[in-house]
Amino acid sequence: MGRGVAITGMGIISAIGNDVAANYKSLIERKSGISRIKKIETIHKDLLVGEVDLTNKELEDLLELPSDNNYTRTALLGVIAAKQAVSNAGITAINDKKTGLISASSVGGMDITEKYYYQYLEDADTQKYIEAHPIGDSTQKIAAYLGLEQAMTTGISTACSSGANAIMLGARLIKSGKLDRVIVGGSDCLSKFTINGFNTLMILSDDHNTPFDANRKGLNLGEAAAFLVLESDELVEAEQKEVLGYVKGYGNANDAFHQTASSENGDGATLAMKKAFDVAGISTDEIDYINAHGTATENNDLSEGRAIIRVFGEENVPEFSSTKPYTGHTLAAAGAIEAVYSVLALQNNVIFPSMNYKTPMEEFSCRPQLDLKEKEINNVLSNSLGFGGNCTSIIFSKV
Amino acid sequence: MDKKEFYIKSYCTIENGVIALNGRPVFQDDEKDFLKFIKSAYKSLEIGYPKFYKMDALSKLSFIAADVLLDHEKVMPEDEKNIAIVFSNKASSLDTDRKHQASIEDEEGYGASPSVFVYTLPNICIGEISIKYKLYSENSFFIFDRFNAAHLHQYAESLLKTEKADEVLCGWVDVDGESYSAYIYLVSQKGEIQHKEEEIYRLYNN
Repeated sequence: MGRGVAITGMGIISAIGNDVAANYKSLIERKSGISRIKKIETIHKDLLVGEVDLTNKELEDLLELPSDNNYTRTALLGVIAAKQAVSNAGITAINDKKTGLISASSVGGMDITEKYYYQYLEDADTQKYIEAHPIGDSTQKIAAYLGLEQAMTTGISTACSSGANAIMLGARLIKSGKLDRVIVGGSDCLSKFTINGFNTLMILSDDHNTPFDANRKGLNLGEAAAFLVLESDELVEAEQKEVLGYVKGYGNANDAFHQTASSENGDGATLAMKKAFDVAGISTDEIDYINAHGTATENNDLSEGRAIIRVFGEENVPEFSSTKPYTGHTLAAAGAIEAVYSVLALQNNVIFPSMNYKTPMEEFSCRPQLDLKEKEINNVLSNSLGFGGNCTSIIFSKV
Repeated sequence: MDKKEFYIKSYCTIENGVIALNGRPVFQDDEKDFLKFIKSAYKSLEIGYPKFYKMDALSKLSFIAADVLLDHEKVMPEDEKNIAIVFSNKASSLDTDRKHQASIEDEEGYGASPSVFVYTLPNICIGEISIKYKLYSENSFFIFDRFNAAHLHQYAESLLKTEKADEVLCGWVDVDGESYSAYIYLVSQKGEIQHKEEEIYRLYNN
């Protein structure tokens, strides 16, 4: 089944840190990034979210952007993370090899659109942002900032599985030889649009989110961006690259259940995991840690938990945890930031604890990992399950 | 290269008040209003799937076309099968997008309705078919200026040759205001009509 696709760089910015090292520190020190909304003008100030610490102005300054730039927050976060990833991979001449960019987003430039929507017709100063609305804009901006020329760049928007799907598409492009190198990941900023939307769906918790807890009340939204650099074996060998881990398997499936909800039995998630194992060519007992989607909604945790049991067997479920209590649910970025966390688990042989858990669910006996646990980790399974049953699982491996 | 040959097993069209399966009408009604027309088709064909009533116009059109065809092919929800769906149209979900926008602008109404909003994507109609027939398969929806047999042909062949699917339900499902048209066909290893661009166009123009 082959070795999978090498990961040679990664970058991240989230509520628990502005780079990979800071994120890792928060994870092992159990530091949550969830707090009351500070940066968005909204009547829902009492809601808990995972906000990135920096303001747009601070991000613009970090990137040394001209004052007439039209970067949305999604683009700003995306560029920060992608830049880190490229630098981490030691890439100096990005156009020397066939390089692509696949960037996931669900909210795109909505944060700015909702801010200036009623001004656009009259206020010429705000009009530069109109074209920054679609998700393709942040993708283009990341590509331009990285200096990519005539490269394959594309956006993916499949709700909460977008980031994982970007990684999966990138891995397939490398395997098929279409690209030598691809930067994959996702970026989503917070906006009133997502806050109000999820609030209307009544799946936002009024307290810290509690994945896999019987009394879970819903999710906390978050904002983040993360990117990984994937490179072909030939390139890794030619340039003697350090490999951080491999994308060993991946699978995407639909749930055939409902436009928004996941099926109670996790049909789509089960299929996605099975496909990922088929591609990876490993067995379920080789998984040392599951980084669950674990959004702490009633629907997700039941559906995902049942799917995990269907794939592994109730007695054989390995340690699992959800990192949503640290970062919030970062939507299209979730699959990408959790890919970074999965690689960190491989590199450091550590399982990040699931926080805020108190009461076991009645539906099954599996419990998330509650303490930081050190153990040899060779394979990590990461789930990203999207609205509408767009389910993706990725297996990350040391070798 | 794989020399495997594929065929169009069945096809279904819905146009100008006529639903036809493999060229033969199975339902006819002079009703000009699409929603009334498709509702009477649903009743007359005895489909018995109440979720139909919640669907938007594009999903109703696609669902009925697919149901007529898949029922004829004796596809059952409980069967193990791998039928991919590749649809296309010109108007995307504009018909429903307009209704959604109107509900937002209606100052006396209750604002945006989630039950309309969920249909503001064209590929939701694929979801409706997948939900009824329990298809966990590959699917894709493309927007073209006009019917593009070359693209559908290539996409279906690729899915079949790489064994991503055993059969592919392909076609065109378009609703825009008063006008509607559906033309879907099932590509399979069995059948009498060769899966070729000319044949796809020939059936489309029939």
